Amino acid sequence: MRKLLASIVKELQLLAHDKVGLLLLYLMPVVLVFIITVVQDSAFKLVNDNQLELLVANKDKGALGDSLVAVLKQSGNFLLDEKNDLSEKQLQEEGLSGGKLASIYIPENFSEAIENNTSTITQLILTEFGVTEDTLAVAERKETSLTIYFDPILQENFQYTLVTNLQTILSGMENKVMLENLFEQMGYDEIPEHIAAKMTGEKTPIIAKHASLDGQQKMTPNSTQHNVPAWSIFAMFFMVVSLGGNLVKERLSGSFVRLMTIPPSFMYTLISKMLVYLGVAVSQLFLLFCIGHLIFPSMGLPQLQIPDAFLQLLIVSILSGMAAVSYAVVIGTYAKSQEQANGFGAVSIVIFAAIGGIWVPTFVMPDYMQTVALFSPLHWCLEGYYVLFLKNGDWNALSSSIIFLSLFVIVCQILTFVKLKMQNYL
Amino acid sequence: MSPAVSQVDFTVLKGEKFGIFGPNGAGKTTLISMMCGILQPTSGSIHYYINGKEITPKTALHTIGYVPQDFAFYPELTAGQNLVYFGKMYGIPTKQLHEKINVLLEQLGLSHVKNKKVMTFSGGMKRRINLAIGILNDPEILFLDEPTVGVDVQSKHAIIHLLEELNKNGTSILYTSHHLKEAEDFCDRIALIDQGKIIGLGTLEALTTQHEVENLEELLIRLTGKTMRD
Repeated sequence: MRKLLASIVKELQLLAHDKVGLLLLYLMPVVLVFIITVVQDSAFKLVNDNQLELLVANKDKGALGDSLVAVLKQSGNFLLDEKNDLSEKQLQEEGLSGGKLASIYIPENFSEAIENNTSTITQLILTEFGVTEDTLAVAERKETSLTIYFDPILQENFQYTLVTNLQTILSGMENKVMLENLFEQMGYDEIPEHIAAKMTGEKTPIIAKHASLDGQQKMTPNSTQHNVPAWSIFAMFFMVVSLGGNLVKERLSGSFVRLMTIPPSFMYTLISKMLVYLGVAVSQLFLLFCIGHLIFPSMGLPQLQIPDAFLQLLIVSILSGMAAVSYAVVIGTYAKSQEQANGFGAVSIVIFAAIGGIWVPTFVMPDYMQTVALFSPLHWCLEGYYVLFLKNGDWNALSSSIIFLSLFVIVCQILTFVKLKMQNYL
Repeated sequence: MSPAVSQVDFTVLKGEKFGIFGPNGAGKTTLISMMCGILQPTSGSIHYYINGKEITPKTALHTIGYVPQDFAFYPELTAGQNLVYFGKMYGIPTKQLHEKINVLLEQLGLSHVKNKKVMTFSGGMKRRINLAIGILNDPEILFLDEPTVGVDVQSKHAIIHLLEELNKNGTSILYTSHHLKEAEDFCDRIALIDQGKIIGLGTLEALTTQHEVENLEELLIRLTGKTMRD
C-alpha cells in the first residue's frame, strides 16, 4: 500500500510539473465544449428563435401577395426586406450579394391563380352537393408558383423548414379564399363573424413534449444537454494522447530499467497511473458539468440540467473514465514509440467519436453504421448519459451501457496484462 | 543468432570490487542486466549468497543496487522527489529514508539542489543523482554500468570516493567502465569479456604478468585485437 501511495504521489507530481499536459487535459475540453455548444446553439436558434432574413419581391397584382407578406411579417419568424421593383434575376443576385439566406419571388398572377383555382374547387363542391348544376362554370386551372431562392450555404433542413412554413401559410390562405367563395356562392357577402372567429381561434392544439422514461419531464433537450456530456466523453478519451504516450515514455526510460530491479514496481506504476488518470477523467467531467450548469447561463447558453439520479451519474462517469483509461493503457502498452501511441491513439478516438454518435446522432446514420456504432466505447458512454440527461432513465435503462462498458474495460485490462506478462514486466 | 552471453562462469566475493571489461558489444550490459533481474537467462543460473546462505533471486533483488549507464530517474521531478519515490519503492521507512537522502546529497555535493528539477542539472550532477538513487537501499551487491561516463574530474572523484566508502562497509561492487586507468585503481579483480565469453579472469597483476603487458589497456588489445567493434 505504501508503494502504491508513493507511486500515486509520483504520478501526481509528474502531472503537476507538466503544465502543457494539464492545459490539454482541462482547458482543451472546456474550450471544445464551449465552442461546439455555442455553434450548435446558434444553429438551433437560427431555425427556432432567431428571425431569418428574407428578401421579398412581390409582383402580385391582387391582394393575396400582400396578405402573404403580411402573414410572414406577423409570424415573427422572418425579418422581411421588401424590394418589389426587383426582377426575378435581380432578386437572386441581390439575395446572394446582400447576405440574405432566402429570397421569395411572388409572381404577377399569384392572387388571380389562387382565386381561380379555389373558385374551381368551390364550384366542384357545390355541384357535388347538388346546390348548383352549372358544371360548365368550372374554369380551367391556372398555374402559378411561389419561388424561393436559397443561399447555397443554407443547410437542407433549414430550407425544408422554410418551405414547410410557407406551405402552411399558403394552405391557410387558400382555405380562407375557398370558404369565402363558398359563402359568396350561397349568398353571403362574407364569412359570418362567429364562424370566422371559431375558424381562427379553435384549431386543434398540438402539445409538444419530450418523452422521458420516468414519465416526468424535467430535462429540456437543447444544445447544452447534448454537447456537454458528448464532448466531455470525447475529451476524456483523448487522454490516450497523454496517458498512452506517458506509458510508452515510462517503458522506454532509464527509470523503468531501474524499476525492473525493484519488483513489483511496474505493477504499482501501472495501477497508480490508472488511478490518477481515472481521477483526472472524473474531475474533467465534474469541471465540465459545473461549467455547463453554473457558467453557461451567464453566457446566454442553455443551462445544463444535472440529473437527480446522482449515484447512476457517478457510476456511468466512473465507468466511462475507466473505459478511457483502459483504452489509453492498451495503446501505451502495445505502441513501440510515443509517436505511434499519440498518432494511433488520437486517430482511433476521432473514428470512435464519429461512429459513436458524438458529432452526429447515430439515429441519422445508415443501418450498417448504426451497427458499427455498437463497437465504439464512446457510443455506450453517450448512451448512458442520454439515459440520464435526456430520458430520466433508471438502472434498467442504463444496464446495456453499464454491461458494455464493463466488458470493454475487462477486455482492455486482459490485453494489457497479457502483453506485459509476455514482456516479463509483471 | 548467437547468444549475447555464453558459458560465463565466475564468482564475486563479499566486499570485492569486481570489474567487467571488454569492447563495445562484448556482452557486459547483458551480463549485468541478467544479474540484476532485468533479463532472464535462457539457460544457466545465477546464485546469490548472504552471510554464506544462498538466497532466492527474488530475495536477492531486494538487496541489490543498480546504477545503469542511462539516466534512470524522472527529469521532471526534483532530486528530492526522485529519491523519496525510489526510496519508498525500495521499502525504506520514511524517517530513515529522509535521513539517508540528506546524507547522500551531502556526500555527493547535491544538498543545495535538492528541490531543483533534475532536468536542470549538469551532466555530472545527473550522474551523481543517478548513483544516489542506486545506493539508497544500502545494497549488499551494487551493479554499476559506466558510472563515471561523461563527467568532470570533480564529479568522478566524488563518485569513486563514495563507492570506496560503500565497499569499506561491505558492499560488493560489480563495475564496468571504459575508463581503464580508473578501473585499474579501483578493481580488486577483473573479468575480460568478448563476444559473450570470458577471455580472462583474475587480478590485474596476475593477468598483465601472464600476458606480458604493462596495463589494462594493453591487456585488452592483446586479448581482443585492434579491430573496431560495432
